[in-house]
Amino acid sequence: MKNAIRELRAARSLSQAELAKAMRVSRQTINAIETERYTPSLPLALALARYFDSTVEEVFDGGNDDA
Amino acid sequence: MEATTMLRSKWFLPGFSAALGLAFLAALWAGGKPRDGLFSLGVMTVVGLLILLGGRSETIRGLRGDGRDERFARLDLVATAIAGNVLIGIVIGACVWEWAHGRDGTPFVQLGAVAGVAYILALGFLRWRS
Repeated sequence: MKNAIRELRAARSLSQAELAKAMRVSRQTINAIETERYTPSLPLALALARYFDSTVEEVFDGGNDDA
Repeated sequence: MEATTMLRSKWFLPGFSAALGLAFLAALWAGGKPRDGLFSLGVMTVVGLLILLGGRSETIRGLRGDGRDERFARLDLVATAIAGNVLIGIVIGACVWEWAHGRDGTPFVQLGAVAGVAYILALGFLRWRS
């Protein structure tokens, strides 16, 4: 799933390892999320959004909404 | 809401490996093969030590427990399902082979039956719980 994690992380000068430690996941998981190879669970997605003082909808792009 | 966390201690798999080694030792000793039992214990202990001292490999850290986050848990689940399907395929193939050669299929028929029943029970339980 498309997301803005890399941009948000870079804006705060955080490394993947530092973000991973804050989220209590592996660095490889953060990398997989940023490269869209892994879609996080809802708790992790919420934790990431809260960490960046944002919302899940702003951090993650679930695709086109034609509604 | 709490985010995901590293799920296990790094001692989990090495400890499990050692426990298996002791179980193998007990079984082989009871079966009259104490040397094989000691060899098995030695192998499982070495495996446990290699996992414990496995260093920076994500795969080893995930198996060990201290690097086991939600993504690794999901990968582990998929890998387990793949291994299960491979095993069931081999059991079915072995059954067919045995029957084609005039034998009764033991123990593959029983193994296949256990696998099928376990799957249906697990599916029913998970469906009831969810």
